[in-house]
Amino acid sequence: MDPQLFVWIVARATGLAAYIALCLSILSGIALRTSVLDFLAKNRALRSLHDFMTWIWIPIGFAHVATLLFDRTAQIALVDLVVPFQVRYAPLAVGLGTVSLDLVVLITVTSWLRRRMDDRLWRWIHRTSYVAFVTLFLHALWSGTDFSAPLISSISWSVALGIGLLAASRIVFGRLPE
Amino acid sequence: MPAWSLKLSAFCISLFVLVGSFGYARDHVKNPNAPLQPPVADKPTATGAAPTASPAPTIGPLIPTRPGRRPPTPTPGPRLTLAPGVQSASLAPITFTHTS
Repeated sequence: MDPQLFVWIVARATGLAAYIALCLSILSGIALRTSVLDFLAKNRALRSLHDFMTWIWIPIGFAHVATLLFDRTAQIALVDLVVPFQVRYAPLAVGLGTVSLDLVVLITVTSWLRRRMDDRLWRWIHRTSYVAFVTLFLHALWSGTDFSAPLISSISWSVALGIGLLAASRIVFGRLPE
Repeated sequence: MPAWSLKLSAFCISLFVLVGSFGYARDHVKNPNAPLQPPVADKPTATGAAPTASPAPTIGPLIPTRPGRRPPTPTPGPRLTLAPGVQSASLAPITFTHTS
């Protein structure tokens, strides 16, 4: 197989897997503040899952970014992983991925430093995960090769709608009644 | 449900999506409905170059001629046209037709 083709296929696969892993992470995080998954497990188990998902999406997301650094079409440089909308190839779609990556890294690092931080500041930073998810979804929608495939599209949209409904109910109702 | 089973389920889902999407992307290299169409998708997946069809060889009409006779006016005879996929081999032609 052509090395560039292999890089591109790995980037596609890791992108989809990172999307699902991040969705599971966000879903378990929202479930901590709502009671929608109470039928499944207690809050302690959900919190454990939420923390665990970090160690799932980090290697997959790192593989996605690393493979794209070798992609000759996108021509993403190291600086593009931090500064969005600078690439010449699909700047908006790729730039949204950069915004999502920056936010997710910020949220993760501040979570590790939570005990040393002001709790209110940490909460506000952690709430940007909703923005990170929206930018991640738009990045996947506008640049994902497989996102338009019927099976993958139906799964991805269903997961996104589920998270959207939970997030909306969290904002409107706070902790949902049991 | 205990925490370990939630973690195991999440790990299996992520791994399944990773492996499944790798297989899907390998089998569907090009997606015409995708928003971005990188040129790498247009490359053939096979390692060797794709065989090109050779021009179809044709054999002209066979006209018998005898000494002292004018050759008959050539009439359009049957033409043997080989399919484009049939190629000429570099082997010696078979001339021995004797059967016992």
